[in-house]
Amino acid sequence: MAHGILDGYETYGTPDEMFDERGELRPAYRELAAALRGWSAEGYGERQERADLALLSAGITFNVYSEEQGAERIFPFSLIPRIVSGAEWRTIDAGLRQRLTALNLFLLDLYGEQRILRERIIPAEVALGSPGYKPEMAGFRPPLGVYAHVAGCDLVRGERGGMMVLEDNLRTPSGVSYVLENRTVMLRVAPDLFPRRRVRAVDDYPNQLLATLLAARPAACTGEPRAVLLTPGVYNSAYFEHSFLSKRTGLTLVEGSDLLVDSDDTVYLRSTSGLERVDVIYRRIDDDFLDPLVYRPDSLLGVPGLMRACLAGTVTLANAPGAGVADDKVVYRWAPEIIRFYLGEEAILPNVETFAAIIPAELDHIRAHARELVLKPANASGGYGVLIGPQASEAELAATLARVEAEPRDWIAQPLVEFSSIPTFAGGGLKPRRADLRPFVLSADEPWVIPGGLTRVALREGSYVVNSSQGGGSKDTWVLGGETD
Amino acid sequence: MLSRVAENLYWLGRYVERTENIARMAVVEHDASLEGAGAGGIWDSLIHATDSNEAFAAARAESPELTESEFLLLSMLNPGSLRAIFVRARELARGLREYISREVWEEVNGLYLFLAYRKQFVASDVHELCTETQRRTATILGLFDNTVLRDEGREWFRCGVYLERADMTSRIVDAKYHILLPPADAVGGSFDRFQWIAVLRSASAREAYQRTGRGEVEGPLVAELLIFSRDFPRSLAFCLQALQRHYQQAAAETPKRRRARAARRVGILNLDLDAGDIEQVVDDGLHEFLDDFQARLIDVDRAITEDIFRAAPFHPERGGAAEGGQ
Repeated sequence: MAHGILDGYETYGTPDEMFDERGELRPAYRELAAALRGWSAEGYGERQERADLALLSAGITFNVYSEEQGAERIFPFSLIPRIVSGAEWRTIDAGLRQRLTALNLFLLDLYGEQRILRERIIPAEVALGSPGYKPEMAGFRPPLGVYAHVAGCDLVRGERGGMMVLEDNLRTPSGVSYVLENRTVMLRVAPDLFPRRRVRAVDDYPNQLLATLLAARPAACTGEPRAVLLTPGVYNSAYFEHSFLSKRTGLTLVEGSDLLVDSDDTVYLRSTSGLERVDVIYRRIDDDFLDPLVYRPDSLLGVPGLMRACLAGTVTLANAPGAGVADDKVVYRWAPEIIRFYLGEEAILPNVETFAAIIPAELDHIRAHARELVLKPANASGGYGVLIGPQASEAELAATLARVEAEPRDWIAQPLVEFSSIPTFAGGGLKPRRADLRPFVLSADEPWVIPGGLTRVALREGSYVVNSSQGGGSKDTWVLGGETD
Repeated sequence: MLSRVAENLYWLGRYVERTENIARMAVVEHDASLEGAGAGGIWDSLIHATDSNEAFAAARAESPELTESEFLLLSMLNPGSLRAIFVRARELARGLREYISREVWEEVNGLYLFLAYRKQFVASDVHELCTETQRRTATILGLFDNTVLRDEGREWFRCGVYLERADMTSRIVDAKYHILLPPADAVGGSFDRFQWIAVLRSASAREAYQRTGRGEVEGPLVAELLIFSRDFPRSLAFCLQALQRHYQQAAAETPKRRRARAARRVGILNLDLDAGDIEQVVDDGLHEFLDDFQARLIDVDRAITEDIFRAAPFHPERGGAAEGGQ
């Protein structure tokens, strides 16, 4: 059977999104495979050029820190989408809502009564020793009891075929703008691939985000709430996303210097007509840069007095300071226990098996099996510092193990997950490339999950690293929502 | 609106307008460097109009093969070059994406890429480069009017455009008059006329000059059109009237005592232009008149910046200054 550019496609021999272990097309991909029969390598290249040009001219770029200031690149975009069946999506959606409900309860408890510590569900030194734990927040109850209003959870499909959570991002997760823009570009350059009226739309996200933020306004705010998006500025790698979201939601995009906290512990923005009160701040600045009076005194990005205003309850910060403790990679190890403790349920989406070096028995396991494990520093992002045991040299392995022994609180280890691949155009035809999926979860009264998310793909052959800063690309993600899906 | 956003929109307007003016002047200079013999150095008036005499001397010392046209159009060694100015416009636009429309942003980014990806530059490229730049800046201005919400920010953008345009037109007239001032006996001759035609072209005013029935091209009549005409959209009088109108709209929400100083300065400039005439200007000295005009524009800019964009924080409803923060 002729498949056009799909001809001769061979998986890595590990799970593949499009083909099952017998090499049969999965049902969700049937229309896609049929549509791809009309695509040649030349046709693909021509469409890719159009897509890249659309992204470049729209300035949908990220900044690369290692290059000269202001250098911009497009996030490489791959035209072959990931497709999630309706049935599988229902599981993912329920699993993520369950997870964020539990993690928000965990945060409220940790900064409140600390029942989970007293009942010894999670070691106190793990929770309180996390750099994400902010002691200033102790006793603080945010509006609606929500700390993490916006979260992104990285999912991978493991060897056994089900989706697993690889990590949580509860500070300032980014990438949702690519979800929306990738769809726009796909509709423009590859309309023939879409199965008619069955792919769920993603562009409700900005409305949901705005509703979430306004719902979280301080109780004291009785009038029309004023919400703003606080960005580190135009040189931040995610600046495009900040301006994109501001535009789609109507949130005023502000920098730290646009705000001030007056002696009434209230946040104001500087406008041409004078100061205007601010009620909700969707902040895309890390905790440590929020307020130079409390955190890093050298930070020019934040607003002096912002923590004072937050604790006085005159303004809501989303996410609340201190939410990062719940996405600590060591705390992650206890996510199934956290879900069980607060909800009395088993996790719908499992964790990847994780060994925390701080637990002596698990450290023993790491020592004995380092070669088969992936060693991860607990509090780095962007894939930095990660050691992949099976691919590391002896020297690299020894050096990293020494660091684990020295700082056991800061390290976890996981078996290398041969996570699934998706056909991706490379060298004239479609080749398997591994990909993860980051859906975004909004939490106000009830969690809401975007139908889909950001599919990030490792563009190098055999690679497991999907981060944009390290050679990753992205794909559109289709959740099927037709009546028969 | 946010003071920072207002200020950046104002400067976006200024830089887009300046880019367009440089492109227009460069085409005329380029032609003059090929045709017609004459007084004054090649490209001198554009170097003068962009205040880059010293920068050019320094850049020439660094790389002797640098041509005037490359220095003025594409060199990043020259902070006043067409490209350097537009890079700043684009940086501002990048920080204003939530405010400007996607159409405006794509056009700004498109011109940026057009200028940025040009590695080689030869004299014969000047026309293409400049006419394309003019076309694209005109598109940006048009799209701004037709795709961006007509709120306070749009008025600040327009304030920037008209203030810059008034400044550039005064420089165009002044640069020729100042540098190419011919010896007394040449005034009224064909060489003189050649220079004044160049002035008209630099201000896109050649057709307007003829259509207003001014007849043969003569210096005072050219200056009159570019200074006092109420109908020609690049004249000083036209720009100052537009500036006054847009400033009133832009600052409508600003408390009176913060908006008054700039309003007064623009108002007085307009009254003076209303009352003036070209004979008086020529008698008193065209260069002195233009110099004074430019200094007064700087005062307007300073009043807007100090009293509005960068005013000390104050609470409009309490009528008082902020106590905390800074």
